[in-house]
Amino acid sequence: MLATIGIAFGCVQQPRVPAYAQRAVDPYVARRWSSPVFTTAHATFGDSARDYLNIRPKAQQPIDFPHKIHTDDIGVYCDTCHTGVSKGVRAGIPSINVCMSCHADIGDAGDPRIQALRDHAKRGEDLAWQRVYGFLRESHVRFNHAPHIRAKVECSTCHGDLTQMTVAEPAVNHTMGFCIDCHKQKAASIDCLTCHY
Amino acid sequence: MPLLTDVGGPARWPVKEAVARSASAIARSLKRRRYKTIAGPVGPTLEDMDRRQFIKISGLTGSSATLASCGNPEYHLIRFIPEDRIVPGTAVWRPSICPLCPAGCGLIARVMDSEVEVLRDGQLGLTRMGLAKKLEGNPDHPINRGKLCTRGQAAAEITYHPDRVGHPLKRAGARGEGKFEEIPWDQALGELVSKLDALEAANDQKKLAILLRPQRGARTELIKQFAAGFGAPAPQTFEFFNDDVLRRANALSFGIHQLPTFDLAESRYVVSFGADFLGTWNSPVAQNIGYGQMRQGKPGSRGKFVQVEYRMSQTGANADEWVAVKPGMEGVLALGIAQVIIKSGARKAADAGPAGMLIDGWPAGLAEYAPQEVSKRTGVSAARVERLAKEFVEQRPAVAMIAGAALAQTNGLFNALAVNALNALVGSVGMLGGVFFMQGGVLEEIAGGPRSASATTRSPNERPPLQQEVRDAQVLMLDGPNPVYAAPPAWKVRETLMQVPYIVSFGNFIDETSALADVILPDHSFLESWVHSMPESGAKTAVVSTAGPVMQPLHETRATGDVILDVGRRLKKPLELPWKTFEEMVKAGPSPAASASIEASPYRARASRGEARKFVEPQFDGDANEYAFHFLPYPSQALLDGSLAHLPLLQELPDPMSSAIWSSWVEINMQTANRLGIRQGDWVEITSRQGTIRVPAFPSPGIAPDVVAMPAGQGHENFTRYATGRGANPISILAPIAESETGALAWAATRVKINRVADADGSLVLFAGSLREYPPEKPHR
Repeated sequence: MLATIGIAFGCVQQPRVPAYAQRAVDPYVARRWSSPVFTTAHATFGDSARDYLNIRPKAQQPIDFPHKIHTDDIGVYCDTCHTGVSKGVRAGIPSINVCMSCHADIGDAGDPRIQALRDHAKRGEDLAWQRVYGFLRESHVRFNHAPHIRAKVECSTCHGDLTQMTVAEPAVNHTMGFCIDCHKQKAASIDCLTCHY
Repeated sequence: MPLLTDVGGPARWPVKEAVARSASAIARSLKRRRYKTIAGPVGPTLEDMDRRQFIKISGLTGSSATLASCGNPEYHLIRFIPEDRIVPGTAVWRPSICPLCPAGCGLIARVMDSEVEVLRDGQLGLTRMGLAKKLEGNPDHPINRGKLCTRGQAAAEITYHPDRVGHPLKRAGARGEGKFEEIPWDQALGELVSKLDALEAANDQKKLAILLRPQRGARTELIKQFAAGFGAPAPQTFEFFNDDVLRRANALSFGIHQLPTFDLAESRYVVSFGADFLGTWNSPVAQNIGYGQMRQGKPGSRGKFVQVEYRMSQTGANADEWVAVKPGMEGVLALGIAQVIIKSGARKAADAGPAGMLIDGWPAGLAEYAPQEVSKRTGVSAARVERLAKEFVEQRPAVAMIAGAALAQTNGLFNALAVNALNALVGSVGMLGGVFFMQGGVLEEIAGGPRSASATTRSPNERPPLQQEVRDAQVLMLDGPNPVYAAPPAWKVRETLMQVPYIVSFGNFIDETSALADVILPDHSFLESWVHSMPESGAKTAVVSTAGPVMQPLHETRATGDVILDVGRRLKKPLELPWKTFEEMVKAGPSPAASASIEASPYRARASRGEARKFVEPQFDGDANEYAFHFLPYPSQALLDGSLAHLPLLQELPDPMSSAIWSSWVEINMQTANRLGIRQGDWVEITSRQGTIRVPAFPSPGIAPDVVAMPAGQGHENFTRYATGRGANPISILAPIAESETGALAWAATRVKINRVADADGSLVLFAGSLREYPPEKPHR
């Protein structure tokens, strides 16, 4: 009974902290701070259940970005837009400035995706891309892109063949076994503290 | 309604085990347990919760939640285009300057990209930008050399404070009600400009008053020039724990109106009269570095340190010897030491030069200050005085310093002059291991800086400070000070400000003083703007530091420097200030006036030939029979005078002596407490002739039997969610008694009586539980 009351209360009481309640962009941190009732870790029972069962919310992108067109058809390299990949921890999701450096002039004006892009830029807004991959905070994984690029690991090894995808999808399951296999093959360190710290 | 909360990270446990249990079985097992009711939004965890129990609840949660999919609509917030070119996930370190005290330590801030909510043109949205995540000392800065105090570490919280004013505010309710509404910048600036134009039209430019915190740098210089250009009186500064008495004494003794810098690294013997130089006074980080070198930096030589004070400070706790002198008698002890030195023939009275001439009886060898006499007055034994004197003259270089409560007496100036004379006598002024004056650090009288409202030379019969300066003002501009909180009630600061027709505040936060403002024009945080500082002390060379913004502004604030320049331009008769932006001014370097003072001539030559002063018994407010205790409000290690009480990290910082957090307390001698039946945490009423406050008691061995001491900083009526209504304000019971010559507030000259009123109720929160290393009440076996 107690739990039922909790569910009811948890639902009713949801968005009482306006600034935080709306902060829902990265599905892995989404809603963590949104409830004055529930905990910081889970805003709703739904969240806690999903987390419990290790179900990640599917990323919802503002525009169906065609990776295939950009990479396979036109031949843009991954790091042209994901600039952080060889420099630092995160590859990074490009801001609309990167898009507009080409699409200010190039692109079919009738294409709704291009239209949406230009509308956003005109309003001075960025696109709310969501991350497709990412480790849960509780796993304490500290992944760093740059050393993998230096070791000449192909992007597709971990992210699947994006030249054949439209919207990026989690094609590869990043389990610990997946990481360890590759580290063993390449004689990279498999010490726990290499990744978990 | 009892609510449940889970107890940490989710358990990865087989789902089946939990879900298989029926709801009724779980309900039955729940009945057997008692759960704690959660009072606030941030709840404590369950009592008696074990892993099994947790799994049961999680299982129930999971199965029910799939049915009731309650959630928020996502993707509400718009995203602004990021403005920084940053490598995601990679940190850069950018320099800045700590704004929390006048020491002006150099910072480096770790900046990393993050998503953050920002206001742009009134709209809330998200953006990705470089945010300052951590502050450290700048290794290349001559003052703090890579080190930083706890307060500096906490300064990052200013920028991200949830109660920061992020938008211009206009008073909506009656003055003092604290109600504000947001208005656009143009309207806010327009209002201020029209008020100033009205003063100009009526030829009443003198009725613009400006009140600042004492900081040396371009910002103060700009406000000074604004006032001069407009025709207003020079800006006033206000700070509760100010060092005006010491500056005045240094001007008399050495001809330099400035705080001293100590070459502690080279000293072998240090006597400090009430100076909390390792905690809160002067340039604490620089002094800590020097102190560390003195004690441990030279193999085979460990300098000795003696602290003279009647309530043990953090600095006193570091000393080799702690001398509990009677209040107001620090100068007598210094002269007692000088007398022994002169009498022994180790130094001649004339060696002290002009500094000695300011003390009555100095040339004749200070016959009245023989150790026996000194012992009677100070409570320090004659033998100890002689030993201290012997050590002081033999262990060269030796240096004495004075600050804090020793200057906050009615005879504070005399105490300071006595210590200055002692330094001059042993030749430690301007010498290796002694006391220096930083080049270019001259304040006020010589550099023509702002006058201090709290300690201008005035006779005791004049009106109280602040009232006089502000009373006639039509427009008052406030940049940082909080005199409504930090002034004795008899000064009637609130009442005076209520009468001022128009008040503008540039603060980041609403405090007791800016709550009275008509308009608040919020400043950038120091991390978001150009900063400039010319510290008065802390290094042997002149120091001017400049740094650009570390990050972009989070809110719709504007740098006060730019606002002042903007207001100057918008006036009907525009002010001709030579810079377009504050950035331009900072980059142009120090003004000619300021750089002229860098070429200060040797101080000995300019020592003034003042009259010799006689010792006068310190006066205290309150009859000693009725008000049995001296009352000492001291700067809190974390909150200073209360201006930092809004930072939760500092509220959480355990006091170094009592380990208390988030609260006020009164320190009382253990034997006295036993005699009065006061135990730790008991509620005590402290009554002076000015008023009464209630605080929990903290019996301590490190305080004289006739003294009670309280940290300043708490007891705010209106200062963000973290400080409001917490603890009690010791300043609110201080008598308006002044140092007899300078008119500075003698904040340690109030007497009080104490009265136990209630049992301990847990209001005193000690990190350590109690004082360790002190014999327990019942010895073990």
